[in-house]
Formats: sequence, structure tokens, C-alpha cells
Amino acid sequence: MKKINIALLLAVLALAVYFSAQSASDTQSLQAKFLSFLAPFLRTGTAVQEQLGSMGKGLKTLDEVEADNRRLNEVNRELLTTNNLLREIEAENNRLRLALEYRARSVFRLLPARVIARDASTWWNTIKINRGFEDGIETDQPVLTEVGLIGKTTTVAKNECLVVLITDETCRVAAKIEGSKEQGIVSGMRIQETGTNGTLQMNFLSKNATIEPGQKVYTAGISNGVFPSGILIGTVREFRTRPLDGQALVDPAVDISQTSDVFVVVGAK
Amino acid sequence: MRTAIGMLATCLGVFIAFLLQQGLPAVHVLHGARIVLVPMIFCYAAMVLPFPAMLGLAFFTGFVSDLFYLHIMEGRVEIAIGCSIVFFVITGSISNGFRPSYLKGHWWPVIPVAILTTSAYLLMQFVMISVRREGFVFEMAVLWRVLAPGLLVGLFVPLVHAVVQPFASLIPQSPWRQPEY
Repeated sequence: MKKINIALLLAVLALAVYFSAQSASDTQSLQAKFLSFLAPFLRTGTAVQEQLGSMGKGLKTLDEVEADNRRLNEVNRELLTTNNLLREIEAENNRLRLALEYRARSVFRLLPARVIARDASTWWNTIKINRGFEDGIETDQPVLTEVGLIGKTTTVAKNECLVVLITDETCRVAAKIEGSKEQGIVSGMRIQETGTNGTLQMNFLSKNATIEPGQKVYTAGISNGVFPSGILIGTVREFRTRPLDGQALVDPAVDISQTSDVFVVVGAK
Repeated sequence: MRTAIGMLATCLGVFIAFLLQQGLPAVHVLHGARIVLVPMIFCYAAMVLPFPAMLGLAFFTGFVSDLFYLHIMEGRVEIAIGCSIVFFVITGSISNGFRPSYLKGHWWPVIPVAILTTSAYLLMQFVMISVRREGFVFEMAVLWRVLAPGLLVGLFVPLVHAVVQPFASLIPQSPWRQPEY
């Protein structure tokens, strides 16, 4: 091997060691800058995806209309398509109105945000939203919808931030079960089932707790904690006992794969 | 100069592969395995480029990869920046070992190297997070999510080769251009 190659190899490895020795806060600020650089590409990608998605929906609707209404002429097809589009707008309008009503009646100060990218990694569950420190976002702020809890912010860039979802194993939430005094820690699974909304595990419950499927799980709101009390997390699917404690499997309240509008809790009203 | 242009073009290709990956959904029938394009593009480039350029590319790919998948919770970094750089230096060196074969017109060794690199990359991530979280989880889904992306990229390599070669032949003395025998 040539001497120059060995020198270059050592230089690259030295750089790798230098970066790995950086503190978590330095690494996080580096990631925040990278996120800001990446944001225009991600936003463009999301816009293209949305365009393609809506195109697919339109074509599917037209196919169905064609199958059901062979005798309809071109004008009728056009009218049906317009009608479908209006229905979509009406549905979106209703959804946004619900979100606005939730924002108005919520006891928290909420900042609306939009999902600009979903997780693309095999092992982590995260999303990126279009709000950053310029909008007043800080690390470890709860993110939710009018239905329930989604996760919390981690790395915050200028106009974007990363949200770790409750379906991720590293996102731990102190929680309580409706109608009982049971409290535990809710977190995601390392390997989430595919084709589902994800599953949460609620650990450290007492072994002889009386917990039934269908009971609702809310944030417990411990002092100095990230999550305020009373936010819906999900519904108990199953309760099982283990040698040392009880564990409940919980279905998340929010279907994160379908969620595009969220709120960040930036304080109390 | 041509190597520098080749390397810059490859860095751009790797970055585009990262963005494409971002938009690709998980494959439910493969237990949530994802299509991971970056190690494949890197392996192909590592076989084509000279060793110093490969090192530069390994640094770029590893650095961007670590920034893309950096996961910090409660002040703990799960996979520190730099780990992927070392990984890509190792796998890039293996791939670069097949360069003489590539220059003789044999491009196919990149297929097994890309399969192994892709699966090893995902396995490295899984092992590192398992060590960090102080517990291993053994499920069939883990095997699927590690092995399936590797096998999938094995199918994509001939496609990438078929796409790259016509473009490479347009550039005189391009490092990507294979001699015709």
C-alpha cells in the first residue's frame, strides 16, 4: 500500500474518532444545521409525494366511476371528478376545523405544525415538522393532535425539528390508566409490527392490577416531566403478568401514518 | 481532475440516494424492511474510484449517514457520528479490492459486496442500538429487516450498472467507464 494511501486512511479514521468524541449537545447542534440544510429538499420531496398521492387517488376514483357509470358522457365524468375533489376539500375543512376547535379549548398553548417528512429508517420512529427555534420550539416539548399524544421534540433547527414518536422504544412517558390507580411507563417497541398503527408497552404495573382491554391510557404528568397530565395516549389492548410486574399492550390513539397536522405544546395558557 | 469530477458526481449520487430512500415506504410483506440504496451506490463507486477518492467518499457517506440517522434521547447519542465513517472505510476497502477486476470488464463482484454491505450496515445499526439500550431483541422481523434490504439491492445493482454506463461513456476517460472486450 502506498504511503499516501496509509496517511489518508489514518486522516479519515482520525476525523471519525474526532467526531465520535463530540458531546451530545455539539452533535445535536451539528444535526440541527444539517436539518436546516436538508429542509428544502425534504419539503420538495413531500410536496411531490402529496401530488403523486392525490393523482393516484383521483385516478382510482375515476376508475370506480367508469366501472359504475359506463353510460356517462365526458361532461358527467368531469362533474363527478369535481364533486369528488370538493368532497376531499370538505373533509379537509372539517378536519382543520376540529383541529382549530381543539386548539381553542385546549388548556395548553399550542403551536400548529405540519409534518414535512416521515421516518425512513429501519430502527427509529421519528417525523420532521415545519417548526423550529424561530417559532419558539425547544427540545423535549410534547407533540400531539386533537386525538392524542404523538411524541416529543428532539433536535430543533431554525425552521424544522425532529419529533421522536411514542411508538419509538426510547420515548418513555409516565402514564396512568383510566378508572384505576395504576401508573406505569409507556414506550414503543423496538420492532414495530408492520401494517398497523404500532403498539405501545406499558410497564411497571402491579401484577394483580385489574386492567381490562378498552381502558384508556393518559399521561400521568409527573413533576418536572416533559408531558403534562391528561393527554390521551391510547387504549389497552391486552394485559399480561410477568415475573416481577404487569405489562399492558396499548394501541396508540393517533394513527401517525395518516397524520399531517400536529400541535406542539409550547406552554400553558 | 477526472477522478475529482467522478468523486463529486458520486457524492451527489449518494446524497440523491439518501433523499430517495427518505421517500420510499417500508415494504410490509417483508416485515417492514426498507429499500436501502446508499450502501449499494457506495459499493459500486468504491469499486470504480481509486483508493484516495474512495476514502473521501467513505467519509462523506458515513458523515451524512450518521447525521441522517442521529438519534439523541435524554442526552445520549445512540450511534455517534464517526461510526458509519469507519464502517464505510472498511467496506469501501473491500469493494476497492475488486477494482482491478472492474477495470478488466468484470463488474458483477459488486453484487455480493453490495448485498453484504447493506445487510452489515443495518446489522451494525441494530447491534449498536441494542448495546446502547442494554438489551437484545430477537425476532424474525429483525432478520427480515437486516437481510431483505441486502437481497433487494442485489436486484438493483444490474439496473444501476445499466444506467451508469451509457452516461459514463459520454465522458472521455471517466473512471466509471468500463473497457470493452
